[in-house]
Amino acid sequence: MAYYILENCKGCGACRKLCPVGAISGTHKELHVVDERLCIECGACGRICPHEAVQTPAGALAVEVRRSRWPVPVWDKDLCTDCKICVKACPTGAIGLNGAHPLLKHRKLCIACSLCVLSCPIGAVEMGS
Amino acid sequence: MIPGPIGGATGKILWVDLSTGSLREERLPREVYERYLGGMGLAAYLLNQRIPPGADALGPDNIFGMLPGVLTATDSMMTGRWMAVAKSPLTGTWGDANCGGMFAPAIKHSGYDGIFFTGASPRPVYLLVEHGQASLRDAEPLWGLDTRQTETALMELSSGRQAAVACIGPAGERLSLIAGISTDQGRLAARSGLGAVMGSKRLKAVVLSGAHPVHVHDAPRMKALSTSFSKWARLQPPFLNGRGTEMLARGMRVLPLQMRQDGLLYKVILQKWGTSGLNQFSIETGDAPIKNWAGSNRDWPARVSRQIDPDRFRGRELTKYHCYACPIGCGGYSSLNGSGETHKPEYETILAWSGLLMNEDFESIFEINERLNRAGLDSISAGGAVAFAIECFENGLISLEDTGGLELRWGNTQAIRALLELIIRREGIGDLLADGSKQAARRLGNGSTAYAVHAGGQELAMHDGRNDPGFVLHAAVEATPGRHTLGSYQYYEMFQLWTRVKSAPRVRPRFYHKSTKYRADEEKAQWAAQCSRFSAVLNAAGACLFGALIGVQRLPIFEWLNAATGLEKTPDEYMQIGQEIQDLRQAFNLRHGAPARHDVHPRALGQPPQTEGANAGRTVPLEGLVKLYWQEMGWDEQGHPQNGALKRIGIEEFPG
Repeated sequence: MAYYILENCKGCGACRKLCPVGAISGTHKELHVVDERLCIECGACGRICPHEAVQTPAGALAVEVRRSRWPVPVWDKDLCTDCKICVKACPTGAIGLNGAHPLLKHRKLCIACSLCVLSCPIGAVEMGS
Repeated sequence: MIPGPIGGATGKILWVDLSTGSLREERLPREVYERYLGGMGLAAYLLNQRIPPGADALGPDNIFGMLPGVLTATDSMMTGRWMAVAKSPLTGTWGDANCGGMFAPAIKHSGYDGIFFTGASPRPVYLLVEHGQASLRDAEPLWGLDTRQTETALMELSSGRQAAVACIGPAGERLSLIAGISTDQGRLAARSGLGAVMGSKRLKAVVLSGAHPVHVHDAPRMKALSTSFSKWARLQPPFLNGRGTEMLARGMRVLPLQMRQDGLLYKVILQKWGTSGLNQFSIETGDAPIKNWAGSNRDWPARVSRQIDPDRFRGRELTKYHCYACPIGCGGYSSLNGSGETHKPEYETILAWSGLLMNEDFESIFEINERLNRAGLDSISAGGAVAFAIECFENGLISLEDTGGLELRWGNTQAIRALLELIIRREGIGDLLADGSKQAARRLGNGSTAYAVHAGGQELAMHDGRNDPGFVLHAAVEATPGRHTLGSYQYYEMFQLWTRVKSAPRVRPRFYHKSTKYRADEEKAQWAAQCSRFSAVLNAAGACLFGALIGVQRLPIFEWLNAATGLEKTPDEYMQIGQEIQDLRQAFNLRHGAPARHDVHPRALGQPPQTEGANAGRTVPLEGLVKLYWQEMGWDEQGHPQNGALKRIGIEEFPG
């Protein structure tokens, strides 16, 4: 399963530049394509697309959200065990460490994919503001 | 619907032919995963099939592999270990080394259940896997750099998200047979000399960057199990200080009775201090070998061993360090005498470079630790080789002329540090020692084998069989000689397998007389066989020994395996998988002409028994134990597996 770019793509390249795994290719002002073998379903392409041209793996139309409103991970410090699974799960390197503790080190790199939340085995990470 | 053959696996193996520079992916059938799971299991299956018997361990026919476990990068915890595997150039047997850090999930997230290297490159190369693309790159500019320099350089070259690097240092490049492989700026897969195998293939490093998803059969169940386990991991009552560990151990030494051990105590120690929490505890109980295994706690009394009081190491800790998926965090970064930082020295390194050599200099441990990590040398084997050299010097077998003027006396810190540099550079007497103490004794002759303490060519770790005979039994009968992480009587007590595995006998009395440990009876053989099988399962799963020591009723390894893979096996069926893996590892040795069991230095067996100290009068009945262990494993009187494991992978019989 992977995200899919529809034919109304304007080729602006916003999704290509944001994709953390290099799964999107295409030239300027032409239809872009997602390589389904590489797609990790982070959804960043759908959130950034200003042209409603991205379809989710479930077949729905992805909705653009202004980047300033994208949620970011928040850790429950009482629950977190510093196991670093979220650090490794982050596809952009936005999550780093303060000593042994994970934190959103590079906010600009965060693409609100929630993979950190999904990967946490004990539910110590949530998306917030 | 899980895309891989079983949950937790990607279903793909990457093969890299270094002779031709070609790369290919292989998909193994589901049956292989059902039978061997992953990690060491897959390695046992593949290396038996594909390394020709008699292959030169440093030649192109040897195959070097790196594998995470089937539970790595799932929703489980304490499952971030990877295995390095190949035929060992140090021992001529099956070779493996195990390591934590962040490299294991990187293999899985690159999309592979294992990466294997065949052939040998004509020039230095490194493997880069990025965005699902694997390629070999020129490593000529990296050749000669130490492990930290190499990793830093490769991280700068890597684009995008943070990569994981495994590399060799100068020791591996110079084919030192005690060279390991470094990750995370100095965490080593140290044992079996596998750094030399990488060096022989001119493979400087492996750089992995990927976000390949890993699917499991039942994710909610995985998370529920992890949440339950994390409560045990968080349990950390106020505890003893460093001096308290010494006093506790002293009491344990004096008492004729021993209490069945619960690994929760060790978890508390590991979480507070890391493995250095065992420093004085091990010396006082007789677990730590002193003075090249010829001494005892009498030679290294508490007033001296307080130099390595765990609190002193904790005092130097800058921050804690957790391996991937580990809630305990026994690692740390320490200040390096005011000039940078080093990984907090581990118990094995501390004891191999203090008590074993009678070195009382606390500061030197940090510097030696950093030099070993940067060179990519096994700290256990290198410490053993130095101990061998000192004893040879003290007994007149080597002279000042041989040592280049170094006064190799017990406890001479300056000479010890200088000798380490010679070993790293393979200069002078360092060239003799860079291949370990067995090889050094073979070249030196003149009765020096009496001072080369090893099992099957590999230096023994800092756990004395005279205190726990299980350690020396496993050092002798496991396919990889001299390993200390596969089984012991203490481990069996702490695994508490009987709470899950029907065939595992309960250690009945809460207190037992210490003398009962030195009997060769069926019960001990059963414990050892169960340890071997269970360790094989752990290494197929990618699980951490320290996690397993907390007990299987708390670390739900079997339950995680079912929830991740969807195989729905009983714990006893998983133990049968462990048996099959052990059969294949043993068969590998026999097919390569290695002995069915390994010789162990008499000192480690208490032959002759020590006359003083914690282990005075103790002798390990190894011969009897080996025979009983083979029976328990279903092997014949020559140690040949009889369970048909080889036939099941298409190999008919043992040659010759």
